Amino acid sequence: MLLETDYRPGPAAALRESLYRIRAMAGNNTLIRLRDPGQTISYVVMPMVLMLVLEPLYVRAVDGGTTKVVTGLLVMFSVFAISIAGNAILAERTWKTWDRLRVSRAPAAELLIGKTLPIYVVMIAQQTILLVYGCLVIGLPIPGNVPLVLGAILLWAFTLLAIGALLAAIVRSHGELSVITDVGALTLSSLGGALVPLSLMPEWAQVAAQASPGYWALEMLQAAVAGDTAGVLRPAAILLGIALVCGVFAIRRLTRGWGRGGLL
Amino acid sequence: MLQAIDLVKRYGSVLALDGFSLSVAAGEIVGLVGHNGAGKTTFVEIVSYLIRQDGGHVTIDGRPPSASRGRVGVAPQHIALYPSVTVREHLNLFGRLAGLRRAALDSAVEELTVALRLGSFIDRRTAGLSGGQQRRVQAATALINRPGLLLLDEPTAGADLETREAMLDVVKQRAGDGAAIVYTTHYLPELVELQATIAVARNGKIIARGTYDELVDGLPGEVRLIHDNEEEVRVSTTQPAATLIDLLGRAERPISTIEVHNPSLDDLYRSLAVSDAP
Repeated sequence: MLLETDYRPGPAAALRESLYRIRAMAGNNTLIRLRDPGQTISYVVMPMVLMLVLEPLYVRAVDGGTTKVVTGLLVMFSVFAISIAGNAILAERTWKTWDRLRVSRAPAAELLIGKTLPIYVVMIAQQTILLVYGCLVIGLPIPGNVPLVLGAILLWAFTLLAIGALLAAIVRSHGELSVITDVGALTLSSLGGALVPLSLMPEWAQVAAQASPGYWALEMLQAAVAGDTAGVLRPAAILLGIALVCGVFAIRRLTRGWGRGGLL
Repeated sequence: MLQAIDLVKRYGSVLALDGFSLSVAAGEIVGLVGHNGAGKTTFVEIVSYLIRQDGGHVTIDGRPPSASRGRVGVAPQHIALYPSVTVREHLNLFGRLAGLRRAALDSAVEELTVALRLGSFIDRRTAGLSGGQQRRVQAATALINRPGLLLLDEPTAGADLETREAMLDVVKQRAGDGAAIVYTTHYLPELVELQATIAVARNGKIIARGTYDELVDGLPGEVRLIHDNEEEVRVSTTQPAATLIDLLGRAERPISTIEVHNPSLDDLYRSLAVSDAP
């Protein structure tokens, strides 16, 4: 007996069904992440080591050195984590599984949410762990406004996710993604002041820094850690804009699939 | 169930489909055959709504493919599975995406585990499975919600005997349950066993359609005898069995080898190419 019917659920039932499918997708992608955690572990442990080593230098070189070393390395390695998002999405192309999902009952939006939700959680966890480590081990003052810091982390993780999805949608191979994420992340995050405090960089670099999402992330996180709500707003708005542009483009591209072209 | 009329699809300067028309009724198995590049996979992708046609139209049970998501089970030509995910987890994922809940899902998984003989590796990750086992898992994910239309694109390519037997049994059973099935393959004997209607694709269109008897029986096969002294006799014939008996009756020297070749898919293509020539 065939199971399909012409049954059309009402809005509440449709929402329940939608959430059920998203949960199935998210569960599957959580499994995949948990079974291959190497990259995530690297991007948590490496900045921890670097914070420990670089903290005395920062403290001697600039005012608020502890805050700058923690937020700077957090931003730098969270930018590297773009490759986690990119690789996770691009792997669906390598495995040729994305088209199989597109044939299912789940619309593209559900597939994308289910696909990216676990990665989003990983990114939030990475940043939260690094901030907590910064407070407990490096000596970062515990932020007075925790919800503000959490909001900043959520927004920055969302921006990174959207950039990662965009890259995965346009690159032709894991090699291309690697080049873009490694070189691009190092350039953008260091230019944004994540590696060396911006005040120590040449004047041209301080001007160019504003083109980097890393710069705005650093501004936002440092303001959030200091409890400066007004200081968070402008960089948050800019990052949200970047996230929306990248996200919309990625969704349009992934909804259509990759087709038969490309290197993979 | 499936109606495709005058489909046209271009990839740049390449015309992949050029007036491709095919209909499949509920409970019918249509074996879609043709050389590589004949348009079979493009047709499957259009019906699955993975790509859009440039011309013509398709309906599935009266609806366009865009409104038929979840009603079509697709097993693509290439293996498309998550390497680090187990067979059971695959079935659960595709079952849940199709909307199956606990009892129905468990029952569907159990049924396919038996039908496609997945039991011995159900909790293993697919990366460690043989090609034939992966083919069976892929088919199971397409069948999990008992869709009304099944598109199986070379489901037994490179598969072992066990996979082929299991696949053919399930396909026959699903057709018996009323599913319309498009089964692309390069192996004519499978279509004979499935009692499928055969549709031959060439250069982006269907150039012939009929039962095996209608399409192949009139074509010549070949009988080949090799004597002990290595002398060889080859006879092209439309009646291989009768010809073999006749040759054996007339043989004057001992025979070391007997070969009987029934008409093949290539013979069918060749005959259609000749009859299709301007």
